[in-house]
Amino acid sequence: MRILKHKTNIDFIGKRKPALFISSVLNLAILVGIAIFGFNFGVDFAGGTVVELKFNHPISAAEVRARAEAARLHDVSVQGIGSSTENSYLLRLGGVTQLTEESAVTALKALTDLGGISNVHTDVQNGLINFRSAQKIDPQKVRDAITASGTGVKEVRALGTAQGGGEDYQVVASGMADKITAAMGKGLQQPDFQVRRVDYVGPQVGNQLRNKGIAALLYAMLAILVYVAFRFDFKFGPGALVAMVHDVVMVSGYYLVSRREFNLTSIAVLLTITGYSINDTIVIYDRIREEMARYKGKPLPEIINIAVNDTLSRTILTSGVTALSLVGLLIFGVGEIWDFAMAMLIGIIVGTYSSVYIASPLTIWLDERAARKKAAGSAMKVRAA
Amino acid sequence: MGRGNWGRWVVIIAVTLGSIWYLIPTYYSFFVLPKGQRNDLKLLQSKLPRWAPGANHRLNLGLDLQGGIHMVMRVDTQTALQKRVERRGLQIVNYLRDQKIEGVTYTTDPNKLQLTLKAPDAATLDKVEKELKGFDDFSKVSRAADSVTFQLKDTQVSRFRDEAVDQAMLVIRRRIDKWGVAEVDVRKMGTDSIQISLPGQQDPEQAKELIGTTAQLEFRMVDDKNPFFSQLMAKHPPPPDSGIRLVRPNGYDQLEGKDREALLAFARQGVPPDREVLLQCVTTQAQKGTCDSYLAFLVDRQVPLTGESLATADYSRSQTSNDFEVNLSFDTQGGIEFAKLTGDNVGRYMAIVLDDNVNSAPRINERIPNGRARITLGHSIGKTDEQMLQEALNLVLVLRAGALPAPVTTGEIRQVGASLGDELVRRGSLAALVGLGLVVAFMAVYYRKSGLIADVALILNGLLILAGLALFNATLTLPGIAGFVLTLGIAVDANVLINERVREELDAGKSARAAVDQGYDRAFWTIFDAHVTTLIAGFILLSTGTGPVRGFATSLIIGLVASLFTSIVVTRAITTYFVHGRGAQTVSV
Repeated sequence: MRILKHKTNIDFIGKRKPALFISSVLNLAILVGIAIFGFNFGVDFAGGTVVELKFNHPISAAEVRARAEAARLHDVSVQGIGSSTENSYLLRLGGVTQLTEESAVTALKALTDLGGISNVHTDVQNGLINFRSAQKIDPQKVRDAITASGTGVKEVRALGTAQGGGEDYQVVASGMADKITAAMGKGLQQPDFQVRRVDYVGPQVGNQLRNKGIAALLYAMLAILVYVAFRFDFKFGPGALVAMVHDVVMVSGYYLVSRREFNLTSIAVLLTITGYSINDTIVIYDRIREEMARYKGKPLPEIINIAVNDTLSRTILTSGVTALSLVGLLIFGVGEIWDFAMAMLIGIIVGTYSSVYIASPLTIWLDERAARKKAAGSAMKVRAA
Repeated sequence: MGRGNWGRWVVIIAVTLGSIWYLIPTYYSFFVLPKGQRNDLKLLQSKLPRWAPGANHRLNLGLDLQGGIHMVMRVDTQTALQKRVERRGLQIVNYLRDQKIEGVTYTTDPNKLQLTLKAPDAATLDKVEKELKGFDDFSKVSRAADSVTFQLKDTQVSRFRDEAVDQAMLVIRRRIDKWGVAEVDVRKMGTDSIQISLPGQQDPEQAKELIGTTAQLEFRMVDDKNPFFSQLMAKHPPPPDSGIRLVRPNGYDQLEGKDREALLAFARQGVPPDREVLLQCVTTQAQKGTCDSYLAFLVDRQVPLTGESLATADYSRSQTSNDFEVNLSFDTQGGIEFAKLTGDNVGRYMAIVLDDNVNSAPRINERIPNGRARITLGHSIGKTDEQMLQEALNLVLVLRAGALPAPVTTGEIRQVGASLGDELVRRGSLAALVGLGLVVAFMAVYYRKSGLIADVALILNGLLILAGLALFNATLTLPGIAGFVLTLGIAVDANVLINERVREELDAGKSARAAVDQGYDRAFWTIFDAHVTTLIAGFILLSTGTGPVRGFATSLIIGLVASLFTSIVVTRAITTYFVHGRGAQTVSV
């Protein structure tokens, strides 16, 4: 059985200019879009709290949201996962602790109302309030006062007597997850849901994770580029690099447009796409190199056309088969895994396109430039002589 | 076959059998053990046949697949540093007063870790600066007419951070050890964070216990006159395979055992109501966090003194005996109580108990009146200086944990319920199977016999990945399954490349034999380059990634290596067997 019955002879190189133009416009649009709208960063990077709840009866996203609103949780985002019969929802809140810029103000007021309080230091990022009291103070009293002001308290720690006199204490605010589950179960004798997953990432950790992820992506591209330059001619390098960047940008575009969460798994997808894209490109490069040796003297554009056409059925088959292996994930995957499979699928499509229409034509361009330079160089030599 | 291909076949068969052998512990842990005890390595080891690989080589499920808690704790070194700056301020003012420099006051800036000394006039301030020349943990920032500002040095800050994080790790390890959870992973992350994985744990309350205040430090008296343990051994001899035995390393009766729970259960039978049995973790190596055996102590239930009264702890080396010493000092009230406690119990042993674990039990030699105690770590036989220093350092950390709080907060929690975990395993394996099935069916239809050969390689590839994960003690996570599926796609790609190449050669009019040989030879470098580039991405993921990403990278890397083997070595051997060995004139692609 064959998908391509006869040898194809499509003029890929002839269409390189419109292809490059469309790709450049799309890439630019995506980059501008990222600059303006940004990604929908998941908790991995943005920090925040995600709680996955599975209700034991049918419930709509609107009803879940209404419950949250009723408990005065206004900025919670509700997202259904899986099919509607699963009654599973992801609830996401920006903060990680109940101490926010706003609630800190009321909490501080409640604290100072206790009297004899000094040296107050609040750390909203970590949900901590440190303070000094003139006398020993009952931690329960502090807890009650702050809880009444609207900030849940996990613990009040006595840090011991300060050297300069007075007692030091630390208030640790409760996490947002507690607040979400409490809000959802409000007014019910028995919660009608099960907490299936809690993800909670502090802002510092989030930044660290993001920087590491981006660094990984850049290192990988660089390492691959070095490998290509080493294994092939240097003029193949830039084409491979541009194709990789193109694919990464296009898949980022998927995250941008679909507003799907951009998280650690997305970085993994981008990295795999980088590997996959170069994989595809290399197969064609390999062929170009082989044909160059066979048809010495033939112009490069023609050689590339032959190489791309010869490998076309392989290119289509490989992409098709890899896409086929993702079908299972697309059917049975939920949440993060579905996103993974979808982004991978898009990556495979653009990766195939870019190795044919971007990586190879760029090689021609570099080759022509080198030829012109060489010509100009010899012309100068002639003049000097 | 024949013609020098024997070596290749031997390798293929050895690798296949080896993979199956390596998957035996995994098979037992999933299909023989009851589900709830899947993580019980001891039970698994006892069920495994003698010739099988060790139980630790089973395929681990990640937290996302079996449920559990992953968290990152941040040690709040900032608060502790602020307190340190303040303490230093007071010390300096007191010191200056001793040097007859009066009227100096101090203020601190908690955010910048700065200390400002204010003097009544410039002349006094000059004297202050001169006095503080040898004062090496701060550096001068600025000087105004009547005040001078110092800043805590960066080297001090980072040293302090390291100490605080080590201390917190020690406490967390001890607390987890108390629960007896298998497969706990506690490690340092970055400068001030600790990463903890608790597979199978569902109770976030327990997790909270880890970040509860500071370690609970107690001083309790050891009951060294009571023959309780020897009577117990006589009355209810423990089963011989339990390894519990009576020992007297410190001159009084104690029990020793390898299994914490079994020892506790045995030793606590019929304990007098005013006594309690506590355990000490005995390690022969300096490696932290693992106990070689446990030693049981019989101690008073009453707690005469707790770590709340402890002010500081430090270690030094004795000038005379060259032994390491740990020095403690109590606050005023604690000092009075300590004097009474030691005065009443001269000659007895005092257990230093941290979170219900005995840390050490020194002998009280005399009444200690001034609230300053010294614990001498006698030079035991066979211990090097290095080990003794480590022991002293550990004890100091332990004691300080009760005295010097560097509060711990949660930076990250990921908790997956067991029900979700089961569902993910089901869906993940289903997805992988469907992906595999589709690919296998396609290859068989599209390339006929060569496709079937590729399918054999593909299934072997799946087997190799699982065995590879088991061999390297890797953990299978949901992203790992995704990586698994993806490598199957890449493995097929290699076979597609080869088969397309063979077809081309056939189209060019070559014989079956030549077509196969050249097809493989020409495709080799393409496949190699394609795999190596993806491997580069995989290794970079592995080295820079965290948590789920690492799981993905691990299965990707193992999968790529397996794919190189199956597509280049295995399929070639099989195809060559049909074409060369059987002398086939056609090849079915």
